Amino acid sequence: MKRGIMNFKLFLLPILFTFPFFSSPVLSASDLILSRVDRRIDLTSQIVRITTSLKVENTGSDAVSEILLSFPENLENNLAYLKATLGEGKGKAKPSAGVGLPIQAVHPKDLPPSLTIYSVSLPKGLGKGDSLTLNVLAVFTHSLQPFPQKINQADIQLLLFQDSAHYLSPYAVKVQSLTVKLPDARIESYTKLENAKLQGSELKYGPYENLPPFSYLPVVIHFENNQPFAVAKELVREIEISHWGNVQITEHYNIVHAGAQSKGEFSRLDYQTRPYLRGASAFRHLVAKLPPRAHSVYYRDEIGNISTSSLWGDSKKTELEIEPRYPMFGGWKTAFTIGYGLPLQDFLFGSDGKRFLNITFGAPINELVIDTLFVKVVLPEGSKDISVSVPFPVKQSQETKLSHLDIVGRPVVVLEKNNVVPEHNEYFQVYYKFNCLSMLRKPLMLIFGFFFLFVACIVYTHADISISKSSASYLAKLQWDEVQATIQQVHGLISRCLTAHDKLETSLHDLSRTGDVQACKATRKSVDSSLKELSKELKQPLAFLQSSPQAAQILPKVEELVAKERDLQEKLIAKHTTVVDCYEKKLGREIENRIASQQQKITALRREIDDLMDLIDEI
Amino acid sequence: MAPKPITSPVPDAWYPTLSVFTLAIGLVLTASFFIYEATSSRKSRSLAQELTTGAVASVFLGFGSLFLLLACGVYV
Repeated sequence: MKRGIMNFKLFLLPILFTFPFFSSPVLSASDLILSRVDRRIDLTSQIVRITTSLKVENTGSDAVSEILLSFPENLENNLAYLKATLGEGKGKAKPSAGVGLPIQAVHPKDLPPSLTIYSVSLPKGLGKGDSLTLNVLAVFTHSLQPFPQKINQADIQLLLFQDSAHYLSPYAVKVQSLTVKLPDARIESYTKLENAKLQGSELKYGPYENLPPFSYLPVVIHFENNQPFAVAKELVREIEISHWGNVQITEHYNIVHAGAQSKGEFSRLDYQTRPYLRGASAFRHLVAKLPPRAHSVYYRDEIGNISTSSLWGDSKKTELEIEPRYPMFGGWKTAFTIGYGLPLQDFLFGSDGKRFLNITFGAPINELVIDTLFVKVVLPEGSKDISVSVPFPVKQSQETKLSHLDIVGRPVVVLEKNNVVPEHNEYFQVYYKFNCLSMLRKPLMLIFGFFFLFVACIVYTHADISISKSSASYLAKLQWDEVQATIQQVHGLISRCLTAHDKLETSLHDLSRTGDVQACKATRKSVDSSLKELSKELKQPLAFLQSSPQAAQILPKVEELVAKERDLQEKLIAKHTTVVDCYEKKLGREIENRIASQQQKITALRREIDDLMDLIDEI
Repeated sequence: MAPKPITSPVPDAWYPTLSVFTLAIGLVLTASFFIYEATSSRKSRSLAQELTTGAVASVFLGFGSLFLLLACGVYV
């Protein structure tokens, strides 16, 4: 351990030497003074959150419209998120609330290059003698160094954090204090300055009074932290919109435990028996907070489904607890995929003829640091005029993706961002134009697919694909086809005859009801002519059947049918004549007797014909 | 104009039922199409009837399979 302390003293030497150089009053252009600075550093997780509340006073005569914030270079490289808000009066407001002021990096010439300066633009200038409270939230990743860097399975994870006890600022500071919130665990050591106080898990430095610009007093804190150091080396979030009612999210994680490296062997037995002693630095599960009404949630990797996960939800959120296949020790990696569907109406909106997706940017997993985040928004095929609005700078590009039932592919908006922390879980919007008719593309594709199948069947049955066009069997088949067609023709003609018969019967029926002899006669005339024509038409197919050797078997039946039909026709006409006669001679009573015998024969014939028709139809 | 949430043209909950019914109708029409193909002889077949039965059957089968995909969770 002694050697270790020596080590980090050596490490700090360059910083100690360089900073007195900054203390020279290089920035005198501004007349701003920080009358009070309260800093609070939260070290309870792997992410370092520094909340600073600045009370700014203008002592000069000109109005000031921007305030500079400075960060030493070693911290600045890990700066993931910076937000400044105006405090309401007493400065107790949370920095996360409210709209952030515009911030941009500036490079004033008179400042040393090892400092990075950000300029916060104020909505209105700060006049002479005025003061305001500015709340700044800065989030840093990878700023906690594991020390020792390699530990055994049973060791706890110790971390080193360095910062300045004085607020590093280009302005003079009247009163300032620093509070460091540490996890509820062992504190190995901390830089013991004059007014440093340790209260429980809170370490306090200050108050310090009347410090010149660029005061720097390094402090180092060495403490235990066994929080999950889950860092996603790469996360690809794919958000796929389907206008048929779903937003599908697929997240490909590539997670590493970025804490102290594990060395020596891993004993599963030790871990299993006393997981909190023999694996304190490991994490075994992660919790993802999904939006409400998430459905079809899955958790898998390349091998397949991972069954160690649980899901519960209420009207405000859905929580998914996932457990990797093995406990994660320092330096260990795992890759997996989470997917879930969300209802469309919660995330997709339309206004002014445009549609927009409104969804959170970052990953749903709690306290996860993402080194490289790709957010891919897959829009439906046929989307046009795509524009993106993200509240922080991202790299943007476009690609296309071919998915289910696509022809030209779906436009994909790719947003890339490095160093993402949970604070980036803000809503962003993707605007696009979409014609509702484009939705019909998919069903139309399916319809044409099926229709193509039917057309292929039609072509197949219509096409003649026999090779030898002169073989006996082929010719026989051709003839048989013709015979079949002729028989069907005959069948059709006979059934038309039967319909004509039915017409006659109906006219008789009407006659008995209305007594309108003329109408009945007219029907008879038309039926007669149509029957005549039908019998003419019948002649030709019958002649063909008689001549065709293939039809020899079926011919007697057909001839019988035709004969019986003719018979029936005659009988019916006779009956019709009788009945009409009776009506004309007003012999109403005798009709029944006269036609009784005819009626019997007609019914019998009709039945026989029907049987024959069925028989022929089956050929 | 305030943004309006966009919903699917057919409520999600209907997809399984819709797919069953449209597919059933589509399959019945397909059956009638193939019965017609098999029973009528080459001479007496009418192309118009074949095409209409095929077209109507493919409309029902197309929408039916789309709804089946959606009901299964394959959001196209």
